[in-house]
Amino acid sequence: MDTSTLNSPVLLAACDCLTPFGDANATHAALVRGERALQLVPVLGGEGGDPVPLALLPGRALDETNPPAWLHSLQTMLAPVAGPGWGTARRPVCVTSSNFGVGSLYAFRRTGEQAHAAHGTAHGSVELVRRALGWGENVAIFSHACVSAHLGLIHAARLLAEGAADEALVVSYDFLSPFVTGGFHALKILNADFPAPYQDRATGSIGLGDGAGYAVLSRQRGDLALAAHSLHNEMHHFTANRPDGAGFAAALAPLVAAAAGCRLWVKGHGTGTLEAGRLEVAALARAFPGAPLVGWKGSLGHTLGSCGLVELAIVAASLRAGCTPGTVGSASPTFVDTVALAPFANAAFDGVICASNAFGGAHAALLLSHA
Amino acid sequence: MLERFIQVVRTDDPGSEELAATRERLKGRFAPGTVRRMTQLGLFVGAVLGELEPGEEDTLIYASQFGESRALEGFLDSFPSASPTLFQTSIHPSGAQQGLIGRQRSVREFFPLAGGAQLVCSAVQAALLAPSERVLLCGGEERGTWLVASGAASDQAFAFALALTCSRLPGAVGRLALEPMAEPGGALALADWFGLVHHRRAFAGPVAPGWRLILEWL
Repeated sequence: MDTSTLNSPVLLAACDCLTPFGDANATHAALVRGERALQLVPVLGGEGGDPVPLALLPGRALDETNPPAWLHSLQTMLAPVAGPGWGTARRPVCVTSSNFGVGSLYAFRRTGEQAHAAHGTAHGSVELVRRALGWGENVAIFSHACVSAHLGLIHAARLLAEGAADEALVVSYDFLSPFVTGGFHALKILNADFPAPYQDRATGSIGLGDGAGYAVLSRQRGDLALAAHSLHNEMHHFTANRPDGAGFAAALAPLVAAAAGCRLWVKGHGTGTLEAGRLEVAALARAFPGAPLVGWKGSLGHTLGSCGLVELAIVAASLRAGCTPGTVGSASPTFVDTVALAPFANAAFDGVICASNAFGGAHAALLLSHA
Repeated sequence: MLERFIQVVRTDDPGSEELAATRERLKGRFAPGTVRRMTQLGLFVGAVLGELEPGEEDTLIYASQFGESRALEGFLDSFPSASPTLFQTSIHPSGAQQGLIGRQRSVREFFPLAGGAQLVCSAVQAALLAPSERVLLCGGEERGTWLVASGAASDQAFAFALALTCSRLPGAVGRLALEPMAEPGGALALADWFGLVHHRRAFAGPVAPGWRLILEWL
C-alpha cells in the first residue's frame, strides 16, 4: 500500500462550508448561476491602498474587530454539529488554517490594543473558537498554508482507521485581513485583475476570499466516502514549483491507482496564476485523461488554508445535486480543452479528485466517491 | 497502544544566542550561500533535522507553537510597505521548510502542527499514526522580541529532531508510546517536551484528556 492512501474508506457523515454566498448549497447554487463573490476592495482595508479582488462575508470589514467579527459566523456554520462530546479523546477535533487569528495580531500592531493579541496566535485563536463552541481540549492544530485542510482530514481518517476515535470533526477557517492581503499584494500576484483560473491569458492574478468549512468523519455513517488521500512536498522553492511539474505528478500518482477504472471529474486548485496553473492542468491531464476539470476560485477567491475543506463541501453539494458548477470567471481559450467553463451533469461519474497546492511546492489531493 | 522506537535524537539548546552567532555556529551544516537568507528557527530546526537525512518516503512531523516569531514581527513592522520576503518567511511551517528547500529534499508526507497545551500530544499522535516505516518528529522555537510581552512569541529557543521506526532496530535509544486512559486532563508544553528529550529523561503521564504519553530511554 502506498503510504498516502487509506486502508479503507472513511465516510463523510456531515460536511458544509461558509462563503460570502452562504452555506454549501447556497454557494453551489450561486456558482451554477455563474455568480462571482469577488469585489474590488482596498488592499489594506480602512488604511486604503490599491483595489484588489476580495470575497468578504457580507457586512464584514477587512479590518479585525475584537472579538473577531467572524466568530459568530463560524458558530452559525457549526450549529448543525454543535453538541457535547466534541474535543474529547473519542471525538477529537482537528482545526486547520493558514491564518488563524493573524488579523488580530495585525490589529494589535496597528492599534496597540492588547486585547487583540490574546487571539493573534494559532493556539490563541483556536482557544477562542474552542471555548465559543464548547469543545473539550482534544483539539489538534495543523497549519501548512493552502493544503492545511487536507492534513486535518488525513489525521482524522487515521485516528478512525486506528480505532483511536469514534468520529472526528475537522474544522477549517481563514478570514482575510490586511496581513494576508498585503502579503499577497507584495508578492504582486494580488492586483486589480480578477482571477481567471486555467484561462490562457497574458498575465496571471489571484483573488482572496473568506472561507470556513467542516467535515464529520465516521466509519459508520455517511453517503460519501473519502476513498484515498495523497501528499507530496517538493521542497524546491518557497513560491515556485519544479518547472518539470514532477511535484504535481508525484502527488497524483497514488490516486491514479486508487481510482483505476473510475470515471472521474476533477476539482482543481486553480488560483489564477499562470505558471502553477499550466503545471497543474498538464499533470491532471496526464493522470486523468479526459476528466472534466473545474476550479471555483475565480468566484470565491482563494480561501487559503481552508480551500480544501470549503471546496470539498461544494463538491459534496454538487454530487448530491447532480450538477457540477463550471469554472466561474474564466473564458476561452483555456490551457486544455477539458476545463469545464459551464455547469455539467455529474450523475454518470464515479468519483471526484479534489486537489490543493501550497507554498513550498506542497501538494495534496483526495478521491471522493459515493459510499 | 500506539508506539514507535526512537533510533536517533538530535537537540539544540542555544540559550540566548543571537542570530549572527547562530549563523556562524551552524553555517557549516548548510549549502554555501543559503544561511544568510535563513531565520534563526530555520537554522535551529534545519541543523538538527539535517542530521537525520530526511528521505522522500519519511513522514515528517513538525511542531512549533509560535513558529517564525521574528519574521512575523518584521512583517508586521513592514506595513504599509509590506515585505514580500518576510511574508513568505513568516508563514508556518517555514522553519522546517528552509533547510529542506536549501538541500532540495522532497518528502511525501509533511504534517506541520501548531498549538498550545495539546501540541505535544497531537504531534506525537500524528507521528505514531503515520504508516511510513520511518517518521521524523522535529520542532522548536526561536526567541521573539516585541511580541513576547504579549504572549504571542516564544521567550525560549530550542530545537529537536527524533527518528522513529516501527520496529526496534539495533541501536535504538528509546521508546515513545501513547495509550488511552481515563484521566480527564493533561498537558505537556513543547518546551517541557524538549527538556525531556534533551536531557534523556523518562516520562509517563497524561498529555491530553484521555491520552497518556510514555517516553522511555533504553
